[in-house]
Amino acid sequence: MNERISVDVEMRQSWRYASGAAMERFCEGLRNKRIEALRCEGCGRRYLPPRPFCGNCHLHLSHWVPVAQEGVLEAWTVVCLPFLDGRTGTVRNGPYGMGLVRLDGADTTLNHYLAETDPSRLAVGLRVRAAWRDDLRGAIDDILHFEVMQ
Amino acid sequence: MRPAAIIGTGQTDHGRCRDDVSQPELIREAANRALADADISPADVDAVVLANMEMFEGRALPELWVGEGAFANRKPCLKVATGGTSGTSSCIAGFHQAASGLFDVVLVIGFEKHSEGHTQTGMALTDPFWDRGVASGALGNFALSISQYMAERGVTREQAARVAVKSRRNAAMNPHAHLKDANATIEDVMSSRVLAHPVRLMDMCPQSDGAAAIVIASAEHAAKLCSRPAWIKAAATRHEQPYIGDIDRRLLTMRTLRDAAQSVYARTGIREPLKQLDVAEIYEPVTYAELAWYEVLGFCAEGEAGRLIEDGITEMGGELPVNPSGGVLCANPVGATGVIRVAEAAAQILRRAGAHQIDGARTALATGYGVYAWADALILGSTP
Amino acid sequence: MMREESIRIPFRFAAGRAGSRMLAALRDDKQILGSHCPVCVRTLAPARPFCPECGGENLKTVELGSGAVLVSWTDMPGRGLFALVRPDGADTAMIHKLLGQSGDFHIGARLRAVFAAERRGHIADLQGFEPDPGSAA
Repeated sequence: MNERISVDVEMRQSWRYASGAAMERFCEGLRNKRIEALRCEGCGRRYLPPRPFCGNCHLHLSHWVPVAQEGVLEAWTVVCLPFLDGRTGTVRNGPYGMGLVRLDGADTTLNHYLAETDPSRLAVGLRVRAAWRDDLRGAIDDILHFEVMQ
Repeated sequence: MRPAAIIGTGQTDHGRCRDDVSQPELIREAANRALADADISPADVDAVVLANMEMFEGRALPELWVGEGAFANRKPCLKVATGGTSGTSSCIAGFHQAASGLFDVVLVIGFEKHSEGHTQTGMALTDPFWDRGVASGALGNFALSISQYMAERGVTREQAARVAVKSRRNAAMNPHAHLKDANATIEDVMSSRVLAHPVRLMDMCPQSDGAAAIVIASAEHAAKLCSRPAWIKAAATRHEQPYIGDIDRRLLTMRTLRDAAQSVYARTGIREPLKQLDVAEIYEPVTYAELAWYEVLGFCAEGEAGRLIEDGITEMGGELPVNPSGGVLCANPVGATGVIRVAEAAAQILRRAGAHQIDGARTALATGYGVYAWADALILGSTP
Repeated sequence: MMREESIRIPFRFAAGRAGSRMLAALRDDKQILGSHCPVCVRTLAPARPFCPECGGENLKTVELGSGAVLVSWTDMPGRGLFALVRPDGADTAMIHKLLGQSGDFHIGARLRAVFAAERRGHIADLQGFEPDPGSAA
């Protein structure tokens, strides 16, 4: 008996997550195209996206500072492989640009999409700017992607 | 703490799709081989440690299903999950259990069946407010970091390709490897399709089905059961701020791996790793990472990794052979991958590595890597 | 602030050697297979790759009866009746559905297996267990 039987299972899951106060304030800001970071009173590091604690100093973060909508591209790639989106399970096809962006006024970099998908037009150190969606909803995808500034 | 040693290892025949066996059967394959290699029976095992990524196969509590395959019935059984480091972390947990005096003989097993689920989606199920909306899996994460490595240290695509060629050539001597090709060329690597710039198919580790196991014994039992045990001289694990944007140039600095390595080097008197280590089995999920980690692990100065691979220093016949097994680039059942690193390093000390044995290996390094947020390092040696 | 998400992810699990044998027997012969462990002298339902008690792999595949005994059961409103049933010839119980109303069942009742008309090598090929009208129990 060498038959190999396999069983197909489709996992359907739904989740309901609490954001916490810091992420809530941050997302409310996005709804108004306002980007804010949380600064650690210990080491002075300005965290974006904001989170409740500094991983280095273990201090609670509560000091909000404004962040610009443009900054420096610190890392980039153009992904060509299709990807199953973790929020929906639907396929996101390539190519799409990804970058780590250090917005002016923040010390950490933000992981987000890039509008540019031509590798020859991307480089570490380029200036980039946030492009917003029309109907702002108070979520990460209020920023559609970052565009290379001319 | 008392000394403890690895007295046996076992691996499945890793592959793209092991449809011939269920998960418990896959684990049993590795467990049987490890027990046979250690020449002990299941009754001799006091405790079991399991490593697996859970969400990759979409089923919770894997130990509930696979424990029988691991001979865990009516024994203490612990599951360890630290991302890609799960395998090395489970080995360290087993080491602590034996070294602390808690148990005398511990069986450590890692496994993964990527063919049954969705690895990249499993990885993307992180922070639902930010990460999840912009996740692009391990591949996108690596590619981002590599752009920084290339820009700052001038490492080239050809140098990275040399790593892939070395791995496939070494893997051709390893019966357990998933991908092997003794005749792979730099051109093959550089002409394989782009997955995420600049990472090409042959630069990236595969997704494999497989399991790996080691048997760890306390000093007294190791001496009784094994004529030449692989002693675990030191082990260290380090965690890090997990958000991808938090650590500047993290592939270059990889401070978790650097700190873990420095910790085990300090405890074993290693000041010049390139000279004092005989072999290394490092967790290199992508060619560029192997180069970056030559620098992080102190095999060479910053910016010198390209020269190291070009000069053949890390080839089988070089001063410090790195990944004689073919490494992660040639077999990557994630939950097992870290166990494989430790098992391969141990096999070198045990003199049971077969065609990819490094003659006279007495001191070996094994490392684990988990999405930059975790790193493990172990030093194995031929004396306690 | 709360965020709600729902996701669908497809998986495909290999039944393996013992599992494939068992599912093929359900599909082809409407037959429930078990495994007999000669060391523990115990017959397991359904078939396994190794004995969960002694770990041994030298198990003998045996054909179990389509009759069974109800070991324990529960009524989950909206979801139906679930039970541990011990197939004839087995020493262990397996979990499955009960077909009928809760008034039809009691611990120790005789049951018989009900198979789907169209079978595809899946545990659902065995639809569940119903009261055995031919039994005095």
